Amino acid sequence: MRSRIAQVSMSGVALLIGLLLVGQLRSQARPTEISSLSAQDLSTLIETLSNRNRELRSGVSDVQEQLREYRLAQAQGQSALEVSREDLRRIAAFSGQTAVIGQGLILRVNGDLDSIAVNDLLNELRNAGAEAIAVDQVRITARSVCALGAGTLEIDGTQIERQFTIRAVGDPDGLLTALQRPGGIISQLKLFVNATIDATQAQSVEIPATQQDLQPKVAKAVQ
Amino acid sequence: MSQSGDRSRQSPTVRLLSARPRFRFAGWALSIGLALGVIGFAAAAQWKSSVARQEYTSSAQQVLAAQVVGLEQEQKTLRDELADGERQVQTFQSASAGSQTTLAELNQQLAAARLAAGLTKVTGPGVIIEIADSKRPVPAGDNPANYIVLVDDLHDIVTALWASGAEAITINGERLVSTSSIYGVGSSILVNTAFLSPTFRVEAIGPDGLLDRFLANPAYLSSRVTHRIDAFGLEFATQQAGSLTLPAFLGNTRFRWAVPES
Repeated sequence: MRSRIAQVSMSGVALLIGLLLVGQLRSQARPTEISSLSAQDLSTLIETLSNRNRELRSGVSDVQEQLREYRLAQAQGQSALEVSREDLRRIAAFSGQTAVIGQGLILRVNGDLDSIAVNDLLNELRNAGAEAIAVDQVRITARSVCALGAGTLEIDGTQIERQFTIRAVGDPDGLLTALQRPGGIISQLKLFVNATIDATQAQSVEIPATQQDLQPKVAKAVQ
Repeated sequence: MSQSGDRSRQSPTVRLLSARPRFRFAGWALSIGLALGVIGFAAAAQWKSSVARQEYTSSAQQVLAAQVVGLEQEQKTLRDELADGERQVQTFQSASAGSQTTLAELNQQLAAARLAAGLTKVTGPGVIIEIADSKRPVPAGDNPANYIVLVDDLHDIVTALWASGAEAITINGERLVSTSSIYGVGSSILVNTAFLSPTFRVEAIGPDGLLDRFLANPAYLSSRVTHRIDAFGLEFATQQAGSLTLPAFLGNTRFRWAVPES
């Protein structure tokens, strides 16, 4: 009987120790819990999430519009092929298979940027909401990265000279503000690399289609 | 017999007391005493750190944190609505009236365009790369940010994977597409629209030898992440996978500013 009490007591004690240790270990982890982020980080996160949600709302609204067009065509007994063709053009533009045009930003770079700096610039433009980007005549797709080739920088096999231009289509104010903010990518790069980066807004920026075959060879679609 | 007669004369209280061994420390009692000591210590440490967290989380931060949680919930709803809408669009497309040949051709083109754009769930062989915060204690005076996974680490891994021939990549299930960004907010990381926490699991589908090419790629070898794994002990593991299944991108694919040229 006494031995049974001992077993039960020890089990209870072990459980308590386990729970406390888990709590203690968790409290030492990084502040990934939202409640432990600083007020400044939380404010930035709120701004970022609000912008992302606005994009998503806009996307939902566009999809609903597209569905209305399909329903209308169906109700009127018309072919909805044109709506589908429009969707094809849209998806091809999104992936980079079609050239696009629109307002945006032009960055003229002259200097010793390494591949990491170029990739960071491209990522910053995407963060800022760029919809399509080209470095000189190379359209940037999901898979395009800047790498060190035979002594020079290359993107998708095309050589990038010391002086090059990055063009991005997107909200010109949003793009410019994001790049030029204090502590932003341009001010960071100026500290570490010997280069000039001039950013100008443009009413009409042309982005070519990619020359790459984007069809995967190994990855297969799952229906 | 006499013994039994004596017991029968004792009161119940006396019987109970006399049944207990006096001044005898059982082994289990000692163990429980020690364990209670450990609990006391752990509880004190836990309570102390809880108090510190409560002090750190001011009422203003709590309000902001609640807003973030609300925005994340709104985002989940929007993404669900978007996914549902896209499914309905595809149903309409496959059922559209018109010449069967034209329809079949158009649907084939749409399927190919979606696959190329990352809007289709895919499967194939590939690699899994996991990276997490260092378990080393942060030395006094050192920057704690050195010991956690930062946005640049994920940039470097993804760049090296694309440079090694990857055809599709996800980070914690977020599929990377032409407009994807990996964005740092303090020590937090957003991929596409999602707020992610470590461990970060990068999955990539690609041709045979993808892992070997990745590990030998200059974009990986000379990257910031390689240096930080060595210097600060970030947890890092790679694994080949015979078959991975990566979800489609879930987000807005409609341009606001860019117009396709006809």
